[in-house]
Amino acid sequence: MTGGRGDPGLLDRMVADCLGWLDAARPHFRLPANATTDADPNLTLKPLGELAELAHLIGELHPIGDIRQVARDLFAFAWEQTRDGELFAELIRGEPFATYPMELYGAFAQAGLRHEDVEELLATTARLRGRRVAREDHTRTLAVLNAERRIGLVQHADFDAEFARTGLGLLPEPWVLDRKAAYGVTHDVFHLTQWGRLRERLAPEFAGYLRLWLPAWLENWLEEELWDLVGELLAVSACLPDAPCDPGAWQRLAGAQRADGAVPETGAAPCPDDPAGVFMACYHSTLVTAFAGTLARTARKPPAPGTTSAKARRAPSVRCESEALP
Amino acid sequence: MIADAATGIALALRGEGDPYALSRILRQGDAVSLGALRVLGADALAPYALDHRVCPGGDDEKVVREALAAYPPGADASEVSVWTYRGLVEASHSLLPGGAEHWPQPPQAGADWVRADPWPKLAHRASQLAALALPGLAPGLAEDLTARTDDLARGFVRAVRRRDWLQAAGVGRWLARLPEVPQSLGLDAGLAFVRQMSGGDARVAVQVAAARRFYGRGW
Repeated sequence: MTGGRGDPGLLDRMVADCLGWLDAARPHFRLPANATTDADPNLTLKPLGELAELAHLIGELHPIGDIRQVARDLFAFAWEQTRDGELFAELIRGEPFATYPMELYGAFAQAGLRHEDVEELLATTARLRGRRVAREDHTRTLAVLNAERRIGLVQHADFDAEFARTGLGLLPEPWVLDRKAAYGVTHDVFHLTQWGRLRERLAPEFAGYLRLWLPAWLENWLEEELWDLVGELLAVSACLPDAPCDPGAWQRLAGAQRADGAVPETGAAPCPDDPAGVFMACYHSTLVTAFAGTLARTARKPPAPGTTSAKARRAPSVRCESEALP
Repeated sequence: MIADAATGIALALRGEGDPYALSRILRQGDAVSLGALRVLGADALAPYALDHRVCPGGDDEKVVREALAAYPPGADASEVSVWTYRGLVEASHSLLPGGAEHWPQPPQAGADWVRADPWPKLAHRASQLAALALPGLAPGLAEDLTARTDDLARGFVRAVRRRDWLQAAGVGRWLARLPEVPQSLGLDAGLAFVRQMSGGDARVAVQVAAARRFYGRGW
């Protein structure tokens, strides 16, 4: 990998094509009437939540105005789908001990989109001791802590202590990483850096570890054609202090992108005569590709020799500042 | 034949089994033996490099001479073939009796690939030349590979992830010889892991045993 930002023209085309496809896929992101009752959240709330998280980031950071505007419109569409937040009040009343409504709401709250009833409900449910039980793994705990921070709730655990227990925090042998652990590592970086907004939070110890081993992981999952993980690993690369760029990896990911902008999650694109199937097979990796392309375009330039930033020497604790849309 | 010979070498490197004698495993005048010697290269003589060496005998010398005469690298030989042959010549010079003047001169072997290969290809070639990761052998190659230690370490990661145990063991053996292997690789655990996961593959066992015996890496 080399330092630098790769081929900006290629990255911008990929991001614009992804957003074009996502924009046209709005009907599939639209929540059904039973979204808060018996619909499968993995087919309804999860795609919408991912759209909100990443469209917001792209709308904030991408250097091209037209791309930012499409992303902001998508983010506004996602908020509209939540009925200006009313959805979350219903979800919390239905599942008061689940964390996912708060995690989804956090993406909007950090942008200043809030709902009074949701805030009141969370003021009660989020402080319950029962909510402090770890869910799934430490990476997920980081997601919950970030949601608490975004909303302005008291953090139920110490972020740095939780990070130290994650798949990245433990600096495991790089050859033990299986697929699930790899997704964990990418999300440890995303939660730590707030999805690439605060990349200096990646301490040199972890940045050095990732710089060493990302090329090997990228090669592995490029060979397996697991495009969403490839996109996530490229996004992590863009979070490193000298933002190593692998032009070959970007070319291979570009080769997997369909003419209409969709990026399949794995292998070749699915048959186009099943629109719902195509959506489920492509929405995540298409969002991830747009996200990775945005981070790569806004990566920090390699520092001049001998000018290591003092700020980068140690990861500061995560603070609780508000993050409003510019 | 190769597996049998490799088993004998691995046992000898671990200090187990009967005292090693190359000529008892690979016999003079036997084409299959000579082919195996060509594949194993310097590793066929590796047990003689141990501190408490088992002395090689005259029959060892004869079978090695025969193999060197039978398989000189041609003009179109791959770099891996040339280096493998060179490794056997170098090992013969230093480990077998007879004096340098009685052995073929080591052929010139190119090393541009060490600088130019993308890391996956580099790691693959280095693993094919793992027999040269013996003390004192191919010092120039070892020096060139040192400059690409991180890339070889990435190759180890890729090979383990692909469950290509032979490649992983070969790269791991080179890494055992190189001075600045990244600590986060976990090379010692990695070599043990590869040995166990390979299900008793004799050639993997040779690489892991050599890394352990000559460079103190792995367990």
